[in-house]
Amino acid sequence: MLDGLKVISSVLIVYIFIATGSHVWAGVEEGRRLFVEKGCTECHTTERPARAPTFQEFLKEKGPPLWYAGSKFRKDWLRKWLQAPEPVRPMAYNSIKERNPANHPALDGKEAEAVTEYLASLTTDRVKRGIVKPKKTVRGRIIFEKKLGCYGCHLVRKGKRVVGGLSGPTLVGAGKRLNPDWIYAFLKDQNFFIPYTSMPIYVGIVTDREMRVLSGYVAAME
Amino acid sequence: MWRLWNSIIVLCFLAGLLLTPAMALTVKENYLFYCAPCHGIEGRGDGPNATPTQPVAPRNHRSKKEMSKLSDQDIINVIKFGGRATGISTLMPPYKNTLTEEEIVELKDYLRELCQCRGPE
Ligand code: HEC
Repeated sequence: MLDGLKVISSVLIVYIFIATGSHVWAGVEEGRRLFVEKGCTECHTTERPARAPTFQEFLKEKGPPLWYAGSKFRKDWLRKWLQAPEPVRPMAYNSIKERNPANHPALDGKEAEAVTEYLASLTTDRVKRGIVKPKKTVRGRIIFEKKLGCYGCHLVRKGKRVVGGLSGPTLVGAGKRLNPDWIYAFLKDQNFFIPYTSMPIYVGIVTDREMRVLSGYVAAME
Repeated sequence: MWRLWNSIIVLCFLAGLLLTPAMALTVKENYLFYCAPCHGIEGRGDGPNATPTQPVAPRNHRSKKEMSKLSDQDIINVIKFGGRATGISTLMPPYKNTLTEEEIVELKDYLRELCQCRGPE
């Protein structure tokens, strides 16, 4: 009797697994394999480093960490970008001298699909969901433009023009690229995600509420 | 005897780990990492963020004329609290929660070397 139940429940569990997630899982595994095969690991980390790198080690890194890619990027953006990568950073990674050479390798459609599944599986519970909604508010604009002057380092769209600085990642199209909740989590504790960044810490300079408004504003950028 | 030596070596190693100070950057590293993106590697106000689309240009830290208008305290304040501290553009960011008091004072000294100048008496 008990054995019978066990058999039935195992069959059910296997069935549910196949029915719901296994194709995604297969994509994740395939993506993980491709990620190594294509040499992506030469520039990107996919696991949180056990020990923070020293500043000198950090400056030698050639690409942004991706161990939280699933919490940071929107899946549809990843899928497109991996097939037709355009610079996110106007300058080369970790450089203020050289422009981004715009030579990121591209994947074909099938590869991009699998790698997207893999990257989307790399999440961190530091990014709480459902806190920030994209919203183009006047308050957001005032914090972004007047109070903090974020465009000092980030490109943004202003009417028909693109204006701003070049040292940070572009925020043109940030709404298509970034998870709104990640923006907020990053502003709250940037060093959790990246051990060194030239971006000033704004905790204590703007309030928590202002940070949410600001994150929503950035998350609505076209 | 062998055991004693072993324990001593292990103890020294552990002590070494504990006593290594938290890694601090030199003032030059701080300047290049935090300030040079706007103010330029040599401090001439020509970093990659000084694009023609910006409303104001970053201060040329080598300009005796501009930099001698600022007292040491002005410099420290503007690094800590950003442009609003000295009534200039908020494009100059606040670093009070990013850099330590010590690092900010070091940067002030570094700027004085760049401009080869002092503040008003
Ligand atoms: C995002 C760009 C940016 C960064 C990064 C930046 N600055 Fe500035 N800074 C400016 C701009 C722009 C001005 C001039 C603003 C104006 O004239 O209204 C300025 C002005 C200054 C001034 C002159 C203040 C005055 O009242 O005349 C000092 C001193 C200064 N910056 C120091 C620093 C130091 C030190 C750092 C690094 C810790 C730094 N800045 C980082 C943009 C920046």
